[in-house]
Amino acid sequence: MTRFLRAVAIIARRDFLAIVATPTFLLFLLAPFFMVAFGTIGGLGASQLAVNTRDSGQIIAVVSPADGALLDKADKALRTGFGEVGSPARLVIKTDMPVPRGPDAARAAATRFGGDVHALLAGPIDTPTIIERNRGGASGRYLTLLADIVVRDRAARARVAPVIPVFAAMDTAQAPSSAARQQLGFMAVFILFLLTLLLAGQAVGMLAEEKGNKVIEILAAAVPLEAVFVGKLIGLLGVSMLFIAFWGTLAGFGLFVATGAPGVGAVLGGFGPAIGWPAFLALGIVYFIMAFLLLGAVFLGVGAQAGSVREIQMLSLPITITQVAMFGLASAAASAPGERLATIAQAIPFSSPYAMAARAATDASLSVHLLAILWQGLWVALVIAVSVRLFRNGVLGSGWSLWRRKRRA
Amino acid sequence: MPKRLRHPIRVARLAVPIPELYELTDPIVEASAITKYFGDFRAVHDLSLAVPAGSIYGLLGPNGAGKSTSLRILLGIIEPDGGTRRLLGSPDPQSARHRIGYLPEERGLYPNMKAREAIAFMGALRGLDWAEGRKRGAVMMEELELGRVVDEKIRKMSKGMAQMIQLIGSIVHSPELIVLDEPFSGLDPVNQERLEAMIRRERTRGATILFSTHVMAHAERLCDRLAIIARSERQFEGSVDAARALLPMQVRYTPRDAAATDAALRALLPADAEWRGDSWHFAISDDGAEDLLTRLVSGGHGIAGLSIARPGLHDAFVHIVRQADGDYDGRDAADAESGEAA
Repeated sequence: MTRFLRAVAIIARRDFLAIVATPTFLLFLLAPFFMVAFGTIGGLGASQLAVNTRDSGQIIAVVSPADGALLDKADKALRTGFGEVGSPARLVIKTDMPVPRGPDAARAAATRFGGDVHALLAGPIDTPTIIERNRGGASGRYLTLLADIVVRDRAARARVAPVIPVFAAMDTAQAPSSAARQQLGFMAVFILFLLTLLLAGQAVGMLAEEKGNKVIEILAAAVPLEAVFVGKLIGLLGVSMLFIAFWGTLAGFGLFVATGAPGVGAVLGGFGPAIGWPAFLALGIVYFIMAFLLLGAVFLGVGAQAGSVREIQMLSLPITITQVAMFGLASAAASAPGERLATIAQAIPFSSPYAMAARAATDASLSVHLLAILWQGLWVALVIAVSVRLFRNGVLGSGWSLWRRKRRA
Repeated sequence: MPKRLRHPIRVARLAVPIPELYELTDPIVEASAITKYFGDFRAVHDLSLAVPAGSIYGLLGPNGAGKSTSLRILLGIIEPDGGTRRLLGSPDPQSARHRIGYLPEERGLYPNMKAREAIAFMGALRGLDWAEGRKRGAVMMEELELGRVVDEKIRKMSKGMAQMIQLIGSIVHSPELIVLDEPFSGLDPVNQERLEAMIRRERTRGATILFSTHVMAHAERLCDRLAIIARSERQFEGSVDAARALLPMQVRYTPRDAAATDAALRALLPADAEWRGDSWHFAISDDGAEDLLTRLVSGGHGIAGLSIARPGLHDAFVHIVRQADGDYDGRDAADAESGEAA
């Protein structure tokens, strides 16, 4: 066993250094920067587009000057209650044109104003006609609300003191909602899935190097093939952990800075996992490792069978699709904690790490995680054993000892 | 027990007894009736051999004879379809990995590794401490006059140089058994000399060397014993001298008398004697030299030149391989005939 572990360590060390001590690793490490940069640029563009779209929209009121003044006053008062995002489209009050009477005239007027008009109010304010582009849309309701305020204001001529509500944030830090925990569970599933798919996928070509430069023969003669496979996985896991540590540190720093901002701490507090943050993070790392080893072992085993880069690419696709299906299953399980679907997702080896990470967000029990980790570890061993068998049989030309055929003498 | 030759070698005119195959007291590698197929292709058939401890043992054969497959089976890299093997006393070759050094036929090194690191890596795979491997690697490279490239990356080296690095990596951990598959191929004559010296040095250290080749000169100079494989089967096992003894002594006689083709002289020589250039060529038995000399002197045609020599391993090898080809074709024809009859 010691000799096996030693062989694993030697292979892992070689692979780790061969990947990390190259300029291309920097590109690999910094790749998310490009992703974030392009994402930011794209996000800014999309945001600007959304703002432009919103600003170009109008709601129009064609009313008498007296009604127009009241509408304007009500609009200004009401609009302060909306945030930047939820604010209705800009109100344009037209008092310098004949007021349309009836739906047909109002519809004709709305058409004349063009495609940016979301809704149009026409006529006397106490019996208005409202034309809206989308039936039941918010703009039509807003105009109705404005008209209602004006009419009530005029009718009552009230001197009643305005209602001044007091808003305060609810204290959610002490008692996170189950919905928030499910959201946290889903986030855990998503992050684990994304990381394993990005990083474990690298394993598919790892034996191609040895097959290409014929080192595989030396390795196969010197150490058990299982040690070669495990060593390669551990080496790549080391690279992945380095990657995660780098970005985790940056993210942690960002989070530390952000928690100083008003409200952010409270929001984060609302996501408290059932198992507690330290255990949740520790389990997250363990489940990443298990998911990585499981998926990496499959990628490595399949890649070892491939004879060319094209074959590697062809073989990667079905694995990726299967993994996306596992992600879907685990995501569904995250939103249905305690149900049969969640149990199934936790039992299926390839969705188990994701589903169990989600479970840690909503369920405080710890012992079940030990069981799950053992179960996943068993499957890692099984996948590696089968991969080695296939490799020995298919690539090295050896045989299955159980299936060995008796040949003619 | 090593196998006897199934098809006794036919020797022209003079019968040379086929030597008894050897009783090996302490084989470090044993194979018994090993068979391996790749699909329907028969790669190795019924191979048995025994490599004595401390010997240099050659596995000879033409291209595609099954030498590399045999070595890979012996080392446990691939499993045989039938037969048994024993390496360093263990029926499981993999359990003795750290006591074995192996240079595969297809050379392979990581191109971005430095020479010293590559050697240390290969040693570490066989259980040698990494730092010790680096140290030993540098010393061994110095001995082979490769000290100047000790920290050079493999990809910057010539093929022959990289091959020497791999060879050092195969033996850096001082293995008891060294298996070299076609070690001389790709090396220039100077490096071939160095390699031969290295093999002898390792044997002196106490290692057993098993190597495959199809270049007879190296085998003739190095091997204590050898096996010849052809058509996937072992055709011979024994010493170099025993292999050479399969063929009779060859005589080249140049008469002084101008009438060399004289019928009287012709009558003194064996019936299959041939006149080529300025000499007669023929074979005699091991104990026929005195009788021949007497006849030539008494014949009165004079002796301008005379050589009586045992044929080299090259001739013995060609003879054995051709005979195996003939036997194989004959068996194929017989199989086809019996098939048709059925």
